[in-house]
Amino acid sequence: MSEKKTLIEEGTELKGTLTSTCPIVVQGRVEGELSGPSVEVADSGVLSGKAKVTELRSRGEIAGEFDAKVVELSGRVRDKTIIRAESLEVSLRRSEGRIEMVFGDCELAVGDAPDKAKAVAAARGNGHGRGKPAAEPEQQPPAQDQNGVQ
Amino acid sequence: MGELTRDQALQKLRKNEKLDRADLRGIDLSRASMPGAALSRADLEGANLEAVVLRKATLKNASLREAYLVGSDLQEANLENADLEGAKLDRANLSRANLARANLDGASLAGANLSGALLSFAQVSAANLTGADLRHAVLTHANFEESALGAVKAMEADMRAVNLRGAILTKADFTGAKVAGLIGTGAPLGDVLVAWLDTSEAGDGTGRITNGEIPGLLSGLRRPAAAATAPASRRYFGRGDVLKNATLDFDGGARVEIDSLFENCAINVGDGTELVIGEAGVLADCTISGAGMITVHGHFFERESPGIVGPRELVVSSGGAVVASVLQNDSLTRFAFERGSRLRVKIVK
Repeated sequence: MSEKKTLIEEGTELKGTLTSTCPIVVQGRVEGELSGPSVEVADSGVLSGKAKVTELRSRGEIAGEFDAKVVELSGRVRDKTIIRAESLEVSLRRSEGRIEMVFGDCELAVGDAPDKAKAVAAARGNGHGRGKPAAEPEQQPPAQDQNGVQ
Repeated sequence: MGELTRDQALQKLRKNEKLDRADLRGIDLSRASMPGAALSRADLEGANLEAVVLRKATLKNASLREAYLVGSDLQEANLENADLEGAKLDRANLSRANLARANLDGASLAGANLSGALLSFAQVSAANLTGADLRHAVLTHANFEESALGAVKAMEADMRAVNLRGAILTKADFTGAKVAGLIGTGAPLGDVLVAWLDTSEAGDGTGRITNGEIPGLLSGLRRPAAAATAPASRRYFGRGDVLKNATLDFDGGARVEIDSLFENCAINVGDGTELVIGEAGVLADCTISGAGMITVHGHFFERESPGIVGPRELVVSSGGAVVASVLQNDSLTRFAFERGSRLRVKIVK
């Protein structure tokens, strides 16, 4: 038996809040808040607003604020979009010379925050035992400056 | 018409009989499945072979003039020295097929998959290859005079000594193609998408040219600079090295790999420069500027925003981490993020 899905078909516009226990497939336009186990935005689909889901896969257009465990993108991300995810996958694919994935102004927060102090310390450690002089230890930058994007 | 009917021909093939030298002119074998068929020197002139499966078939020296092969599966088929003049091969799958010395004059190959195919010394003049996939194909000494090569994907194809006189290359992508001895189109190019080409005679990647010199080479209107055949500039910064407060400039086409620790450094890259931050590489409080192709396997932390300015390409691999604002290239940056990459990235147009 095929899995049940909530389908917003092409030509359909939905404004408001949608909560579903089934995977949601957006082929039309959704504007508002959306929550469910997964959302798939098809090539023809536009999803703008907020979504909190386990999986977000988009080949269409997304805009707004998205929280997901797994995100896969190959369409368009519009301006003022924030994506928070445990993992993000964007492929470097081109078809007929055009860019497959287009990013507007947006923010991506993916995975654990990279730790600059730790990375620098590890890089300094790389020289040990290989006949290279280890650099002098330096004062680490303050914690609050480490990971923020200006 | 030929000597065999469709049923007779298919029956013979089912019995694994060879149809070498068979007279199959005008036959309708559309949608038939004949993988591995033996059809050397067969005469299939004007045959209807639409969507036929001839995977790994032997069609060496066969005549397929004016044959209709749209949507056919000819993966790994041997078509060496075959006559395909005027054949219709649109959307055919010719991946890894052998078309060496084949005659494809006037053939239509729009959207065909020729990735990894061998077309050495093939005649492909006045043919239509619009949108065809020629990635990693070997095209040495092939003749593409007056052919339509618009939007072809020919990345890393071996195009040494290819003749492109009069060919149309609009929106074609030849990035990484080997082009020593190539004969240019003889006319100004339209919009081509080529980051770099390899002009080394051996095709070993040691003679890179980038943006400024590419139109001249592909059009044949201007020779590449003398330096074009010189080995591409390569820089490697090894593990354990620490570089601080430095400004580094790398010419277009250079390849730079960093496995060191860079602190408070500004890196300026030319068009098409490949900048690879290796697994052990850490760029802390740094900036990268220019239309380079950046791959991050290690770590990048910006000094000020935007920390990465105008890259043509930014790839973050599964072990990579980037904390930066990225000001996109004028023609928009190509991004790729592998699963497992860690990002605190702001993208700005």
